[in-house]
Amino acid sequence: MAGRHRHRETGTSVVVYADNYINDIEGEKLEEMCDAFLAKGFKKIVIDFSGTDLVNSIGVSILIGIIEKIKGKGAVVFSGLKDVNFQIFHIVGLTRHIRVFNNEEDALKGGASCDGASL
Amino acid sequence: MSGVDLSLERLLFNLNTLAELGEEITSPKDFTRVVKSSLYMVMGTFSASKGIVFQYDQGDGLFTQIASKGLSDVRGAGLKIGKDAASAIIRNNKPVDLKSADPIIALLGPGREFLERLGARVLAFLIVKDELLGLIAISDKFSGEDYTLYDYQLLSVMGQHISFSLHSHTLLMRLMYRYNENKGLYENLRRIYYDTIHAFAAAIDAKDAYTKGHSHRVSSYSAAVAREMGWSADDIEGIRISGLLHDIGKIAVDKSIINKASPLTSNECKELNSHPVIGYEILSRIKFPWKGIPMMTRNHHEKVDGSGYPDRLKKHDIPMGARIMALVDAFDAMTTDRPYRPRLSFREAIDEVKDHYNRQFDPEVVRPFISVIRKEVLSEVENPTIVPLMHEHLDPVTLSRILEGFPH
Repeated sequence: MAGRHRHRETGTSVVVYADNYINDIEGEKLEEMCDAFLAKGFKKIVIDFSGTDLVNSIGVSILIGIIEKIKGKGAVVFSGLKDVNFQIFHIVGLTRHIRVFNNEEDALKGGASCDGASL
Repeated sequence: MSGVDLSLERLLFNLNTLAELGEEITSPKDFTRVVKSSLYMVMGTFSASKGIVFQYDQGDGLFTQIASKGLSDVRGAGLKIGKDAASAIIRNNKPVDLKSADPIIALLGPGREFLERLGARVLAFLIVKDELLGLIAISDKFSGEDYTLYDYQLLSVMGQHISFSLHSHTLLMRLMYRYNENKGLYENLRRIYYDTIHAFAAAIDAKDAYTKGHSHRVSSYSAAVAREMGWSADDIEGIRISGLLHDIGKIAVDKSIINKASPLTSNECKELNSHPVIGYEILSRIKFPWKGIPMMTRNHHEKVDGSGYPDRLKKHDIPMGARIMALVDAFDAMTTDRPYRPRLSFREAIDEVKDHYNRQFDPEVVRPFISVIRKEVLSEVENPTIVPLMHEHLDPVTLSRILEGFPH
């Protein structure tokens, strides 16, 4: 499997744990990894950000790339966002297009999505 | 284009991106990586899912893509504009909406359709000091929002940052081009220089029917001994050149004297022996990039006991290069046919070296000379120089016998 990110497979879903920082083009490894999971037949990808302290504009660009690639082939949801990252995703409009869960378990179950106010 | 509605968080995010962009473009990272990171920053700031950076070539008016994201296949992606369009773009110098009626868009001609096919929406031209350097094109926002006036202003600032990076890179590339051009010219000059020296060497050897290739052999042997003695690459090159030219003074010596089979008269001998001084006079007028060439030429017939010519110098007064050439010059003379005698065998030549050890030949030179021959016979060197030019086969056992009793 491409990439260096830790991950957990469960049925047709997979949780990918994002790095501490997603702030340079090395972050594309996350995109490559999601691509590889899709190619392997996984239907749902949960990107968990509970260990991520910083996502900058490069990170946003990479995450948009992941969402665009998965569109129509499967589902991608986010979980474990820290306040600071949620704010960034909110101001760049990501939260209007992707379901954000409090934690990976909720994300795997496909429970209620978060909105900005709940965090 | 909609109005400006900025939250404090948005402002901070943008300020942070600008700071990071500034850091990125001044970093010593590889240019391709800097451009790619810069594009991602622009795309992330405006949540654009597609983006491309082109570099503009003023010469042919072509934009060539140097970074992209979110585009399936941009191989060979290019865009061409005329000089008038480029001038108008420079005058306008602000981002434009590809779907707008801005006159700049009309100037793009077929390029507009091409950019639309790529999914571009907003274009920011990269301009520094009235010079068009490139173009960033980004798609609609992923969020579906419209680009605001503030977005255009921010994109303009980000574009300026990236322009400086592109400008520095362009300057560097031009400098590299000039450097390579000059390097090529220098290489050509160097080749001409060497060709001229080789032509001189051939002219010198041509005077003597028996010494064909003598200068080349003295040059190669001298360089091999100097290398064995631990000389620097530059000094080895110097003695190599000196070897090629050491007999240049023979140009002034009558051909009949050089090729005479019978013993020379004292006048003839005097004329022949004048060649190191004539050579010195010729070569001392030339500014060689290597040191010592005229003196090596002058003193290559000196003997360590002070009985040589022209200056009758003793061992330590003779330049080391001349001492090396004195040995290899004599060795080559002994091992090749001469008008007055047939060539000596390797054993006979070595016996001569032994007989004149520390009288004609410097032990400090003889030892490395023998060491080179030994290494070459034992195949311990990659490019043997002396042994392949010998007229006889030397094997380790024979060599060991020949060198038996040789002073160490």
